[in-house]
Amino acid sequence: MNHILIIEDEILIQQSLKKLFERKGLKVDVSASGKLAIDLILNNHYDRIICDLMLQDISGFDVIEESKKKFSSEEIGKKFVIMTAYNSPQVLSRANAYQCRLLNKPFDDLEQAMRIMTE
Amino acid sequence: MENRSYTPDQETAEYVKLFIDPQILLDFDTLDLSTFIQLPEPDAKIALLKKGDRLWVNFSDGEYCDFPYYHKNVQTILNGMQYEGPFKTSIAESFDGFIKTTQSIEKKIFSRVSLNPGENVKDLWDEIIKKVNLISNESHSLRSLMEKLLDVPFLQKFESSLIILHLKGQTRAELLGIIWRDEKTQSQIEVKEFNTFFNSIKKSKIKSFSSEAFPKMNLPFNGSFLAKEIMSKKYSMVAVVSRDDFLSYSKDEIELFETCIDLLQPHFERLIDQEFSDKRISELRVCLQDFPLPLRIRDGISGASFMNDLYTGELQDKDIFFNKKVQGPFTIDLYDSDELRHYAFDLFHFQRISLLGELLNTLRHELSNPLFGLKLGSQLFSIMEVNPDSKELMQEIEKNVNRCQVIIENFSNLYQVQTESKPVLIKKIIDESIVLSKSEVRESRKSIVFENDTENLLLDVPLIFVVQILFNLIVNAAQAMKNQPQPREIKLIINSSDQVVTIDVIDNGPGIPQDKVSQLFKPFFTTKTQGTGLGLVLSRNLALKMGGNLEYLVNNGEKGAFFRLTLPKT
Repeated sequence: MNHILIIEDEILIQQSLKKLFERKGLKVDVSASGKLAIDLILNNHYDRIICDLMLQDISGFDVIEESKKKFSSEEIGKKFVIMTAYNSPQVLSRANAYQCRLLNKPFDDLEQAMRIMTE
Repeated sequence: MENRSYTPDQETAEYVKLFIDPQILLDFDTLDLSTFIQLPEPDAKIALLKKGDRLWVNFSDGEYCDFPYYHKNVQTILNGMQYEGPFKTSIAESFDGFIKTTQSIEKKIFSRVSLNPGENVKDLWDEIIKKVNLISNESHSLRSLMEKLLDVPFLQKFESSLIILHLKGQTRAELLGIIWRDEKTQSQIEVKEFNTFFNSIKKSKIKSFSSEAFPKMNLPFNGSFLAKEIMSKKYSMVAVVSRDDFLSYSKDEIELFETCIDLLQPHFERLIDQEFSDKRISELRVCLQDFPLPLRIRDGISGASFMNDLYTGELQDKDIFFNKKVQGPFTIDLYDSDELRHYAFDLFHFQRISLLGELLNTLRHELSNPLFGLKLGSQLFSIMEVNPDSKELMQEIEKNVNRCQVIIENFSNLYQVQTESKPVLIKKIIDESIVLSKSEVRESRKSIVFENDTENLLLDVPLIFVVQILFNLIVNAAQAMKNQPQPREIKLIINSSDQVVTIDVIDNGPGIPQDKVSQLFKPFFTTKTQGTGLGLVLSRNLALKMGGNLEYLVNNGEKGAFFRLTLPKT
């Protein structure tokens, strides 16, 4: 685990997470736009992609769908961690379908959330 | 039998020129020919002839039609001819349905009944048709139709006759009819069971069944039975007859029973329609009777009125706030009343609450993200910061962000429209009310007294209702005392008796002037310059809704306001 992409349009969250990961010695790219994130994913190698669901342009699930061009379903389940403040049953079942880990915002325990995002 | 002889001046439209085969007059000597003029065949417009076992109807223009040769047919055709206008059309119209039914049934009988074709079958068939027509005309309800069905010749050995009827859209099917020939029976059946039953009947080729095969139907007889299903747009039903024995049924019986039910189908339809609409009318009447506003329906012609339960003689025309002329001579008047105000405010209240709920929910989601950003940022800096003072400051920011999150969540939970209640601790109710009213009552001293160990008592009421009432009372008290010097005090005293829990909200403000007390719970009454005059009305309505009450009490000569909320104990 050394290269991480954070897709999050709330700059304060995005930058805080970036700093927190960098403190752990990881290389971090960020994107506030879903479309830009797709480009980054297709043209770079990321060990982990942390993706917010409610982006300004497209949804986090759209980003995952587009990433299928590059990754197998199994890889998607391993690479993506979904972050959301709307954990409705629909969101849960869709995240489950991708076999992705899901983090609820706000994090109850920052340390634990960091572990899930980097393990 | 009355026959008319023909004379030219009698040739008017009301008499039909007719020739009747002498053989027909011999065979059926009870025909009513009173409205016909009998003429020799070449002069007649219609000739009725017997040809073999068919009845021929020849028209003078060369057209003809033929029917089975039975008394019933001859008489029905004669009756049809009495209609004015082009009689061929009227015959065709009036007999179209009849012919179709009779022909198909005739076909059934001849093709399927194992009796030898001949006089016996014809007689039986004639008899059945006659009887079925008779009973259907005499029956004014489904049950009486089923009862009379047992008078049909071949059914006379049967003991029970039932229909199981499911009106589309109803949650239950109804079983009704007669058993042991004189005992009425009626029960309800789950739709699921009915559907299973209906489909078994429909799929069966032999149409003869055993009651043991349908234990869940609770059929009110034992043994074998005959059944036939009818399905229409509005309903599905199964007609059932049984001899209350375990013998199987002959093919003839099965065929004849099916024929009967086929013949009766239009009558089932008519009676079901009728009984269903009767039921609807009585349901409508109950609805009007219980309508939550005083209501009067006037019949403009007879002057008669229908008044519902809330209507009283004291109501006057000026109290009418809604008036509508409806179909026919009827006018509906709705009267203004306390009930109206209560309901209107309830409605207003709930609309307001649900709108607030939606707004707060949106607000919560919109605030969550930036708050989370602030939290993460402050966590990051408190991790990175080495200076203990700054570290503490960052942690303080994080705490405050958390508090914002909790507050917005609490508010949006509070304003969800949910009235279902689960047991809740009184202490929790009081705590939530105090937390929500905190900013309003900052300058007043609050004391809370739980008498008789009420602190740990559970109440089975919707939390938000009680919190809303207490919030209202506490804020009212604080606002009333705003302009007076300290000490400003708000006391909450919680007590309980066998039946009820009381929550008293007492302040040491100016109180309510004696002459205003009676108006306190009236809508739009307010002592505040910016009040709506709705708070106490809504609060009392909520209390009443929970089976409790909200009253204003006199505080033993002490000044200040004293409200008592009473709630039922679980």
